[in-house]
Amino acid sequence: MQIELKGITKSYGENMALQDCSVIFRKSTFYAILGPNGSGKSTLLRIASLLEPPDRGEVIYRNEKGPLKKDLPLRRRIAIVLPGNTLFNDTVFNNVAYGLRIRGMDRKRVSEKVYNILKKFGLSDKADHNAKALSSGQAQRVSIARALVTEPECLFLDEPTASLDPPNTELIEKIIKETSLRKGITVVMITHNMFQAKRLADRVVFMYEGRIIEEENSEKFFTTPSEELTRRFISGNMVW
Amino acid sequence: MRLGKILLAVIILMSLLSYTHGQTRIRCASTTSTQNSGLFDYLLPIFEKETGIKVDIVAVGTGAALEIGKRGDADVVFVHAKEEELRLLREGYFANRYDVMYNDFVIVGPPDDPAGLKGLSSATEAFQRLAQRGATFISRGDNSGTHKKELKIWKKAGLNPKGRKWYLEVGQSMAKTLRIANEKRAYTLTDRGTWLALKDKERMDLEIVVEGDPVLFNQYGVMAVNPKRHPHVKYKEALKFIRFLISEKGQKAIATFRDSHGNQLFYPNASKGVRIKPIE
Amino acid sequence: MNEILIAFKRAALLIISLDRELLEIILLSLRISLSAIFVATVAGVLTAALLAFRRFPLRGAIVSVLNTFMGLPPVVVGLVLYLILSRSGPLGFLGLLYTPTAMFIAQAVLAYPIVAAMSYSAIRSVRPEIRLAALGLGATGFQASLAVVRDARYGIVSSVMAGLGRVMAEVGAVLIVGGNIAGYTRVMTTTIALEYDKGDFSLALALGIILLLISLCINLVMYLFQRRMTLAD
Repeated sequence: MQIELKGITKSYGENMALQDCSVIFRKSTFYAILGPNGSGKSTLLRIASLLEPPDRGEVIYRNEKGPLKKDLPLRRRIAIVLPGNTLFNDTVFNNVAYGLRIRGMDRKRVSEKVYNILKKFGLSDKADHNAKALSSGQAQRVSIARALVTEPECLFLDEPTASLDPPNTELIEKIIKETSLRKGITVVMITHNMFQAKRLADRVVFMYEGRIIEEENSEKFFTTPSEELTRRFISGNMVW
Repeated sequence: MRLGKILLAVIILMSLLSYTHGQTRIRCASTTSTQNSGLFDYLLPIFEKETGIKVDIVAVGTGAALEIGKRGDADVVFVHAKEEELRLLREGYFANRYDVMYNDFVIVGPPDDPAGLKGLSSATEAFQRLAQRGATFISRGDNSGTHKKELKIWKKAGLNPKGRKWYLEVGQSMAKTLRIANEKRAYTLTDRGTWLALKDKERMDLEIVVEGDPVLFNQYGVMAVNPKRHPHVKYKEALKFIRFLISEKGQKAIATFRDSHGNQLFYPNASKGVRIKPIE
Repeated sequence: MNEILIAFKRAALLIISLDRELLEIILLSLRISLSAIFVATVAGVLTAALLAFRRFPLRGAIVSVLNTFMGLPPVVVGLVLYLILSRSGPLGFLGLLYTPTAMFIAQAVLAYPIVAAMSYSAIRSVRPEIRLAALGLGATGFQASLAVVRDARYGIVSSVMAGLGRVMAEVGAVLIVGGNIAGYTRVMTTTIALEYDKGDFSLALALGIILLLISLCINLVMYLFQRRMTLAD
């Protein structure tokens, strides 16, 4: 599925978060959004994933047949992994089953799918544990499993490996990479880590002070950026 | 979650159980002293056996009992404040009032009798002496029959003790008032029934200092709530209850009733051979 | 001290002998209090959810009123209900005064603000990201609200326990609207008050001990229920 953002503007009170942002996330492509703190990455992600409406501008979802309307069936083809621990105060099983249950899937299939994905994520023995009792690496795996079990056509991730140690980061990256190889899936991931963007993303979106500065092929972005700001950012000379 | 579901089912089931009863029942507003003496536990089964009517007793102070009757929240009232009963009867709130029984009030106080009331035969004089000597007196202060009687005696004595340091209005039932008098080494006015019931059971360190004055006479009466004012009342059944109380059988039952210490608490005094005329 | 010992002995004897009259009083108490708490819970949690999820005028004022009403004196509730349910009152035609139904209403009125106010603060204390997370997984607005309420369930269960504790121990309101009629509207607390009035302190205390034991049992059941929901590592 392809997502097109057209002239998105959003402000919170006095605070202008996004200014006239336009970008197209194409299908079967992995996007990384880079940018300093407060550059509007998370706001852009929430608007693109239909969690929040923009003040101005349009979000257009499109497949082969043309634009799709912003209603529940459409939202159910998207999944978002928010930053930090946003797991429900419940068992691991119930957390992962949530997306399936609200779609009215029957008990047997829910349990089948949940156990399958838990096994894949190395969490089989944690099914009956409370999500609160997990380590941060395990919790992040559950968050991603909870999103992936719904088999989304678009996956949005907001800093999925923040505050994880290298082994856990590697594990999560592996899972995300595998997912992005699925046919037709669009992945949009916010990250602070340029190396991670380099490792995973096909294309990179660079944001600065509520604007999209550059949207470029990953390799080209890191080797020959066309914008002065991007150059300063990747050379580490940007103070933020 | 199965436990939760069972719990929920039990609670819902309990809520659905209806509270209704099939039996004919009438409601009688009466006084705590009558109820606590055990008289109703003795009388009502006899009446119920005879008529099949169950009498629900709401035991409150006489003031509240009359108010409940006035508002139509009872079918019959059984209280002891004759003057007020007669007034409300005239005002049309009630109908068919009859004397049923009596007992008497006594003044109790500490055995060492600091106010020197022992030997007095007049309650009025006793109250005057209490005021003179400033001896602590505990008043019900709750508009009950006993309280009304007490106020009447103060009035007769030409005194208004309200607000005086030695005069404590507690606003509690007779038993509680007696307990307070006992703790505070004070005097109080009590009906003999409650006094007898409590003095042995709670080893009260008080004794009767004044008794036998006609003013201390305590008349109990029964009357029906006026069906003209409150058409929903069970007037017919209420009359049956009244008829029973003043009948030979009812009067005999009252006379034979004894408290757990074997004391006779009430003396029947209904007029004999009365014909109850229902109001039209 | 002696009287307290006697009370414990009498409580034990009463439980062993399973006196029929006492059993009926206990069952009536449970029936009234449980059905009252059931209705108060449904209404209270709905109110709490409405207050937490919908914006409307006077919302803050309603929350303040609920918080204040948590401390409603039972006697006042009883008296107001008495005046409403009295034959001379606006709902007198229903003939509910001095019935168990009136007692049930009084207790529901007493428990409702507790459940509503405490559930409201429990729901409000759920992190806002929980709602977003649910929406991000494809929940409808209603489903997302349910997810938030579900996350607040320990707090909600606590509010129900607090409400139940209040109504089980309450005597002022049920005495006024129930009338403490033997075999009809007499419950544990009004019996205790009556026995105290009659001067049978040890029986009153024995009944108090039994009431506490019943509350303890209910709390234990709820505790087990909560543990089932928690399943901590």
